Amino acid sequence: MAKQALVLVGTSQGLFVLRSDQDRREWEINGPYLHGWEVYSVLGHDGQGRPPRLIAGTSHTAYGPAVRVSDDIGRTWRQVEQGPRYPKESGFKLNRVWQLAPGHPSEPDTIFAGVEEAGMFVSRDRGESWTELDALTRHPTRPEWFPGNGGLCLHTILVHPTNPRRMWAAASAVGVFRTDDGGESWRTCNQGLARVPTGQPCPEVGYCAHKIALDPLDPDTMYMQYHGGVFKSTDGAESWYPIEEGLPPDRISVEPAAPFGFAIASSHTRDVFLIPLESSEKRTMRDGRLLVYRLRQDGSDRWEPVGDVVPDEQRHVNVLRDALAVDSLEPYGTYFGTTSGEVYYSLDRGVSWGRIPAQFSRILAVKTWVLEDHVAA
Amino acid sequence: MRLEVRVPSLLSDCTSGRTRLEVEADTLGEALSRLLETHPLLRAHLYDESERPRQHVLLYYNEENIAWLERLDLPLRPGDRLTVLQAVSGG
Repeated sequence: MAKQALVLVGTSQGLFVLRSDQDRREWEINGPYLHGWEVYSVLGHDGQGRPPRLIAGTSHTAYGPAVRVSDDIGRTWRQVEQGPRYPKESGFKLNRVWQLAPGHPSEPDTIFAGVEEAGMFVSRDRGESWTELDALTRHPTRPEWFPGNGGLCLHTILVHPTNPRRMWAAASAVGVFRTDDGGESWRTCNQGLARVPTGQPCPEVGYCAHKIALDPLDPDTMYMQYHGGVFKSTDGAESWYPIEEGLPPDRISVEPAAPFGFAIASSHTRDVFLIPLESSEKRTMRDGRLLVYRLRQDGSDRWEPVGDVVPDEQRHVNVLRDALAVDSLEPYGTYFGTTSGEVYYSLDRGVSWGRIPAQFSRILAVKTWVLEDHVAA
Repeated sequence: MRLEVRVPSLLSDCTSGRTRLEVEADTLGEALSRLLETHPLLRAHLYDESERPRQHVLLYYNEENIAWLERLDLPLRPGDRLTVLQAVSGG
C-alpha cells in the first residue's frame, strides 16, 4: 500500500507539516499552523481506525504552555481542556512541553509528556487529558535539581519496546532516570557519566544529558549526546561509557575537552547520527561546516563524518536536540532542522543531502510520521 | 451591565475563535469570574499555577492595569472594556 512521508517541523513561530510520497523527492509545505506559538514538541499519532492525530506542545513567553491537537493533519486545531499543569501546592511551574512520546504499542492511546520545570505527565486518551507521573517530582533528589542553560527541562522519554513497565527519562543538568514499574518509582542511572560543573554537591544528579537514542533492535543499548561527550550503554542505562573516537574534540581550553552537541538519532537499521558543534561555549558548526557523523556498524564504536551537508557554503548554525529525526520507510530518510530555519534531508544514510525549499523560523523540533495514502488524504 | 472583552488572537481558541466578546455582570470582579467560567481555557494563559497573573500578561480595565486597582468590585458602567494584553518587555 502506498504511503506518505510527513516531516513535522516545530519552530519558534508555529508548526509546518512537510508532505511527500514514498520517493521523498518533492515536498509540499503546509503551514504555518499555530502561528505565533513556539512548538517545542510535536507527535504524529496513528489513529488505528480513527483519524490520525497531531499533538503539539505549544508555549509562549507571556501566555504559557498548552497542548493542542489536530485531527485533520494540521488544518484545524483545538486546545485540550485538561492539559498538563502542576497543582498549586507543588510550587512548580510548567513553562514548556519539551517532549511528546508515544506509549508502548500495547497502550496505543497513551502519550507521555516531558516538561519544564522538569516533570512528566501521561495521557491515556490520545492527549485529551493529562495527569502528572509525580514519582519523578517526588524523587528524593528533586531538591537538588537545578536548571541548565536551556532551563530545567525533561526532554527525553523512551519506552522499552517489549516491556511497557520500563521507561527512561532524562533532564538537562540533572541526568537519567529509569522506571521498571510504569512510572511509579524511578532511580537515577548516571554511572559512568562525567560530571559537569553544575555547582551542586549531590552525587546522584548533576549530569547533563542532552538527548538519548535507543537501539531499535537491542533496547539495552542506548546512545547519549551528553554535555561533556558522547556515551553508550549496553545494559539499559545501568552504566555508561564514552564513545568519542572519530569525533572532533571540543576546542575549549579547559578539561574535559569532549565533543559537544545536542542532537542524536537512530534508524531502524541501527545507524546512529550525530551533529557535533564547535564546543559548549561556541554552539555552532565548527568552521561553519555542517557535518553529519554516523557511527560505524563494525562494532568499533567509532564515528565517521559521512555527510558534508552544504559543502560550498558556510553554515554557522546549531541543530537543537529534538531537531534530528529518522523515518521508518525503506530506505529510511534522515532529517534535521537548524536554528536558522533550514530543513535538510538525506535518503542515503546521511551521505548526500537535499534542502527543503523554504526558510523557517528557529527550528525547535523535527519529527517524522508515515501514513498510508488513504489515511493521509 | 455588559463589559466588552478583547483578547489577543493567539488566545482566540479559548474563546470560540472570537477576539471580542461581551460578559454580562454587575461588577468588574464578577465579570472576570464569569469570563473564566465561560471560557475556562483562558485561565491557564492568564494566571500561573500560584493563581497570580502571569508575569507578562496585563489585564486592562479601560485604561487602567487592574493589578493596581485596590478592589475589583467596581460597578460596571456603559462602555467599559477589559483588554488582555501582552506586556511589552523588550523586543
